[in-house]
Amino acid sequence: MNTTLLTGSEAAAYGAKLARIEVIAYYPITPAFPAMERVSKFIDDGELNTRFVRVESDHSALAAALGASLAGSRAFTVTNSQGLLYMTEVVYHTAGLRQPVVMAVANRALSAPHSRFPEQGDAISQGASGWIQLFCENNQEVIDNMVQAFKIAETVRLPVMVNYEGYIQSHTSEEVEIPNQETVDQFLPLNRVRTLDVENPQSVNTVASPDFYMDYKFRQNEAMEQALTVIDSAAADYAKEFGRDWFGLIEAYQMEDAEHAFVAMGSMVSDARIVVDELRKQGRKVGLVKVRSWRPFPAQALREALKNVQLVTVCDKNIVFGLGGALGNELKSALYGQTVRINSYIVGLGGRDVTSEEIKKVLELSEKTENQATASEWFGL
Amino acid sequence: MALSIADLPKEELFGQGNAGCGGCGAAVAGRQAMKALGSRTIMTIPASCMATMGGSNLKTTWQIPFYHTLFEIAPAVSSGIRAALEVQGIEDVNVVSWAGDAGTADIGFQALTGAAERNEHMLHVCYDNEMYMNTGGQTGSQTPMYAVTSNMSKGKTIKKKNMLAIMEAHGIDYVASASIAYPLDLIAKFKKAAEKPGFSYIHILAPCHRGWQIPQEKTIEFARLAVESGLFELYEVEDGLRTRNVEPSFIPVEDYLTPQGRFKNLTPEAIQSIQAGVNRHYGRGE
Repeated sequence: MNTTLLTGSEAAAYGAKLARIEVIAYYPITPAFPAMERVSKFIDDGELNTRFVRVESDHSALAAALGASLAGSRAFTVTNSQGLLYMTEVVYHTAGLRQPVVMAVANRALSAPHSRFPEQGDAISQGASGWIQLFCENNQEVIDNMVQAFKIAETVRLPVMVNYEGYIQSHTSEEVEIPNQETVDQFLPLNRVRTLDVENPQSVNTVASPDFYMDYKFRQNEAMEQALTVIDSAAADYAKEFGRDWFGLIEAYQMEDAEHAFVAMGSMVSDARIVVDELRKQGRKVGLVKVRSWRPFPAQALREALKNVQLVTVCDKNIVFGLGGALGNELKSALYGQTVRINSYIVGLGGRDVTSEEIKKVLELSEKTENQATASEWFGL
Repeated sequence: MALSIADLPKEELFGQGNAGCGGCGAAVAGRQAMKALGSRTIMTIPASCMATMGGSNLKTTWQIPFYHTLFEIAPAVSSGIRAALEVQGIEDVNVVSWAGDAGTADIGFQALTGAAERNEHMLHVCYDNEMYMNTGGQTGSQTPMYAVTSNMSKGKTIKKKNMLAIMEAHGIDYVASASIAYPLDLIAKFKKAAEKPGFSYIHILAPCHRGWQIPQEKTIEFARLAVESGLFELYEVEDGLRTRNVEPSFIPVEDYLTPQGRFKNLTPEAIQSIQAGVNRHYGRGE
């Protein structure tokens, strides 16, 4: 056991180190930058044989990581919020090129108004980009998901985002067990794929006519569907090797006989566990479903997990304007046809605190709400 | 010993069966450059005619690894490629980003200045046809003053941005201008650039007969007239030393400008002022 206090940023950096990344490219942004600085220090101290490309922007950061990946190296970058939006063009492009780049995202609210505080709107904005997106509930999961992210990415040939919230996770120390390097090496062998290779010249991203484009996209989506299985198996394999089970796409907690389920992703999940434990002690049949994989969206797994409940309360730390909370909306689609009441809430935007007390209040409010007047109700204004 | 055409490899690494227009200056530049760079080269090209003419669907003219990048990212992608090659211990590969004037001087400038400032071990090539030809010939920063384009029917009213001077100011390993009308000079410069441990920049004047409104068989001729008139100086900057590689014969600038349809609005005063600019640059009495 090698347990130490790590912030989410440090956990992401240690995860990248365990994965033996070969190239990192980044442009500093708050609050993601400590992760980058930690990786740079590993390199400076000779603990990591990695090339650092000190790019001039977030857009170029992902571009350089993409170039490294195309040339066959394991590549990593870190960003959030405005940086993620700025690199969006490259985000989509990387997925289309099927490159297994991994990106840590210290989720932060989007401007305007200017905010540097936590929220999941940045990651949500990339929901159609073709990246697999994992959300972490604590810093242990950050380090574990980093290792699994490379496994998943390289298996299905799609890029993966590892999301953890700014400050709440990125700057908060928690006790974290650092996995054993040799075991990680066995779990994550380097299977080098050189797309750009002078020994085997290929043309990449040539113009695709209507005769070809749609078929490429079909295959890209097939890989995303394959990820539904691979994320589960990566979690199971990881649990076997390292003794910690993150349960794949979703985790059902206290759901066996639950009548009321709370659904969320990210840091709210760990607070919700406390609430569920407390309410269970009072004899209330409340459970928790954690969405760990936001993309691919685990619709089938959620239908199964929520098939016996009467009420679902879902909280979103994001707002899709004119629609409501992203997770709430996806969940309603997923559960279409199932007889269940779904109440969706927007909470904690731009760093507004969501404590276990708030979650308890939302659950109580939801139990009293028969039909929500809007797609998502705002809580905590 | 000076390079001769007979010494050049017969192998065509770019150009056979490309989809460029007949008389395309960019395609000529690509063919010449590949004679110098050779097969151990990884080429990234952002959105441009050059990116699309090299291949589509399952066909390609490139005999080397070629990647059609997003518009703004070729030098950044190439930086990542170089980093990957280094960490994998692969040393004998040329890493090249090759962009048009937009992908170099305008939309692509940020990634270019970043890679140059880091003195990345790579070469960036600008093939300059002085307007945005892949979208039909709009004005950009490399469009010369007075030139008529598809979105400035009265001609551009401000001067062309001097990309060579900007790149020289980065203090990189090698900066050179080149012309498709002087292939041996161009090839020698690519060979030199490929030997540098850091960043090199080569700016090629590559006329586009459609945009310039000249006959398609006169692409090379106009490239030569640009040099001979003194308007496009062939030079290189190596270790801070600036060398002119071709002494122009100083044909009147009018002989280069007025046959081009894009300069149809040139007044005698404008021609005089352009000529005066050339004279000043080369220290010739007026």
